[in-house]
Amino acid sequence: MDGVTVHADTSTETSQGPEGSVRAERPVLRVAGLSKRFGGTQALEDVDLDIAPGEIHALMGPNGSGKSTLIKILAGYHHAEPGAVAELDGEPFDLGQVTDSRHDRLRFVHQELGLVNELSATDNLALSRGFARTALGNIRWPEMERRTTALVERFGLGIDVRRPLSTATPVQRAVVAIAAALQGWEGRRGVLVLDEPTAVLPPGEVARLFDIVREVRDAGAGILYVSHRMDEIFALADRVTVIRGGRRIATHRVTELTPRSLAELMAGQEMETTHRTRLPVSSDEAVLEVRDLWAGPLRGIDFSLARGERLGITGLVGSGHEVVPYAVCGAYTGPVRGRMRLPERSERWVAAKDAGGSGIPLVPADRAGEGVIGDFSVGENLTLPLLDRLRARAGRLHRRRESSLAEEWIQRVGVRTAGRGARITTLSGGNQQKVVMARCLAQQPPVLVLCEPTAGVDIATRLQLYDLIERQADDGMGVMVSSSDTEDLLALCTRVLVVRDGRIVREISGGDITEPALIHAMEGIV
Amino acid sequence: MTSTPTRSAGLPPTGPDVPAVSAARTPGALGRRAAAALSFRNIGAVYVWLLIAVLFSVWAPDTFPTVTTVKQVLNGNAVAGLVALSVVLPLAARVFDLSVAFTMSLTSVLTAYFLVHTGLGPGTAIALAMTAALLIGVINAIVVVVLRVDSFIATLATGALIQSLITMVTDDSSITGVRLLAKPFANIAQLDAGGITLPVLYLLLAATAIWFLLEHTATGRRLYATGFNANAARLQGVRTDRLRFLTLVASALLSGVAGVVFVSSVGSGSPTAGTPYLLSAYAAAFVGATQLRAGRFNAWGTVIAVLLLGTGITGLGLATSAQWAASLFTGSVLIVALVLTGGRIALPAVLRRRKSPRHGVRPLADGSVTVPDEEV
Repeated sequence: MDGVTVHADTSTETSQGPEGSVRAERPVLRVAGLSKRFGGTQALEDVDLDIAPGEIHALMGPNGSGKSTLIKILAGYHHAEPGAVAELDGEPFDLGQVTDSRHDRLRFVHQELGLVNELSATDNLALSRGFARTALGNIRWPEMERRTTALVERFGLGIDVRRPLSTATPVQRAVVAIAAALQGWEGRRGVLVLDEPTAVLPPGEVARLFDIVREVRDAGAGILYVSHRMDEIFALADRVTVIRGGRRIATHRVTELTPRSLAELMAGQEMETTHRTRLPVSSDEAVLEVRDLWAGPLRGIDFSLARGERLGITGLVGSGHEVVPYAVCGAYTGPVRGRMRLPERSERWVAAKDAGGSGIPLVPADRAGEGVIGDFSVGENLTLPLLDRLRARAGRLHRRRESSLAEEWIQRVGVRTAGRGARITTLSGGNQQKVVMARCLAQQPPVLVLCEPTAGVDIATRLQLYDLIERQADDGMGVMVSSSDTEDLLALCTRVLVVRDGRIVREISGGDITEPALIHAMEGIV
Repeated sequence: MTSTPTRSAGLPPTGPDVPAVSAARTPGALGRRAAAALSFRNIGAVYVWLLIAVLFSVWAPDTFPTVTTVKQVLNGNAVAGLVALSVVLPLAARVFDLSVAFTMSLTSVLTAYFLVHTGLGPGTAIALAMTAALLIGVINAIVVVVLRVDSFIATLATGALIQSLITMVTDDSSITGVRLLAKPFANIAQLDAGGITLPVLYLLLAATAIWFLLEHTATGRRLYATGFNANAARLQGVRTDRLRFLTLVASALLSGVAGVVFVSSVGSGSPTAGTPYLLSAYAAAFVGATQLRAGRFNAWGTVIAVLLLGTGITGLGLATSAQWAASLFTGSVLIVALVLTGGRIALPAVLRRRKSPRHGVRPLADGSVTVPDEEV
């Protein structure tokens, strides 16, 4: 890949020779020449990977790079193309078969954790390893509970092993999943595979998970840690392998990398995500004013959004920042108090609980669950809120106007699709997000409200979305972005409000928006 | 509004990557569209129907391929078609209405009761029976939409309530009377033109109305959106609760009409008139959802399915005297249809005419697409 200029030499070096003194040991897992095709798509091509005992090896790549396929092949869910070599602690094993010895050495914690939340920790652990029974066949509960308690206590987790996991916190569930994966594994030379384990964790609890992962490493296991979050890689990993487009791009010691060089490896080209012009807003003409807003965790917040401004709202999960867009758009399901107005439309204040009447569209956080209608085509998704405009005689839908409207917006926001008739789920996450945004823009809203706009979007499309959002603001729209991803805020916002415990605790604008400033304000560090 | 995004120039950042999407009306495109329209994937049930017709023509050459059979299939399945259509709208919004069969029984016995035992005129009797159907629809809707009980179990429960009402009215025996067979009332279902009776016309009218609603109005699009992803639809301003409410009222009314037509055609109000129609209605709706608009419950697909089922049952009746054959046929077709709509098995490759443009994307029988575990 020509894009990788600076690190091209180092990558070849690391892939060929053993890595100096630290990695001289025999790798606990080694795969080489791994390829996989799905129909006409080359999901993986000649990928090599080795994991040393006692190292945390991160596997990184943008969406669609082949990370999950690689994990699924290791788990035996997919079969690799013939010709691949795989060794566990020097012993070759067949990637096409799940044998006991493979199961003993390779353990997985999948992204959704694979737990049954209605059952207790004891039950969940027993699901994979079976129950202790008496001669009559009934379960010996006291022994099961003792075993489970011993396992989870190792991680400093005090939970009632009898209560359903739905009552546990996310990090407790993650620990139970790790404990379940590590059952009967003590002292073995093996690899624990963690597939984006922090995706389901609130940011405050990530550090605890990291401690646990380090503990497992220090016990001598190798850890394959799949993630697309760079901050986690730098906080946790010893080495990182970057794959993109199904190919291994490079393997590096993390200490050799900077966030910037890693981003370049991921994106395949010189990427500038964090430094953008943040001109102070020239106009202070407000397009949205919100006063004393109470909704869910929110405890009376006030803010104004000016024309041309890109206002970020952030905080830790549960702080209430994620509720603000829903409340402003009238989409919050619980009780809402407060008032708001759109000065351009009317000087009158309206109750925030009637915000739905203002018709501010929302780009929701959960794209699959709330954003797109998976069984609809791209065009149908685009025009859903616009149908009233497309009415012809006798309530008939004006099909020609509908298709030209869809075409127009597909072109305008640059959706990559086989056509407006293609099912929306055939598009990548980023392109689906463009459709959702286009749908909002087509309503000609006074303000654009986005929630986690780049969740699950690869870096290249992310930049396109940033451009698109920025253009709307430059054209005079007020843009409000609620995000827990500091990258979004750094790249996008001219001003950021930090919410903590339901209140706005800090306002940061212009050049003062930096990662440390944001994190300090979010965590409440003065 | 000044804040309207007006700068269209430079908006597509991926110029060459954006494929031309205009549906050119070239002869080639027309041919492809015709081929797609006639493909097995699109109208498989029609081919199965033709195959069945040929089979029975060979099996029972004297009785099956006759005009009488055609009339019998059409006339005999009009009521079944109305009941089947009544569940299409709720199903489009992912609501089950299992009470339709009971509603149909109720309007049939109520119409008969008012005509025979109270001496009311046909118009009044029908109006009262339909009012009862409307009430049932509203009650169903309140239980399902307002009280948020799962529609499957809720309408099963209201169905039991309706059955008890039916037993109250009829004392569990059919209501018969000469007024049910007399002219003005009997005409509703028995008047014919060239051997095709009026209920066939009702069926066509109902199917046209539902087709127009679902395919050509904003309401129809919103109904499908509600069925596919109610959360997303709600965020886009679709009033999902109101739509679900209305579909339950509509299904009660249409099945009520089926009951009135039924009592007029058989001349007696039976307390179990609707029961046999429940299974075939759902069978038809689900088979119908694999046709024409794959993956969407739709009117004409349902009508095709009703005729397919009706032809099969009529043919079996003519070719054999086995009483068990009809249920066997309906049950088998239903299972096949459910398997297909459930997307658990894809059609054999030979039958899949339209190749999906994306690699590795497997179009299923219900039109859904699964990407086989590429990258999550």
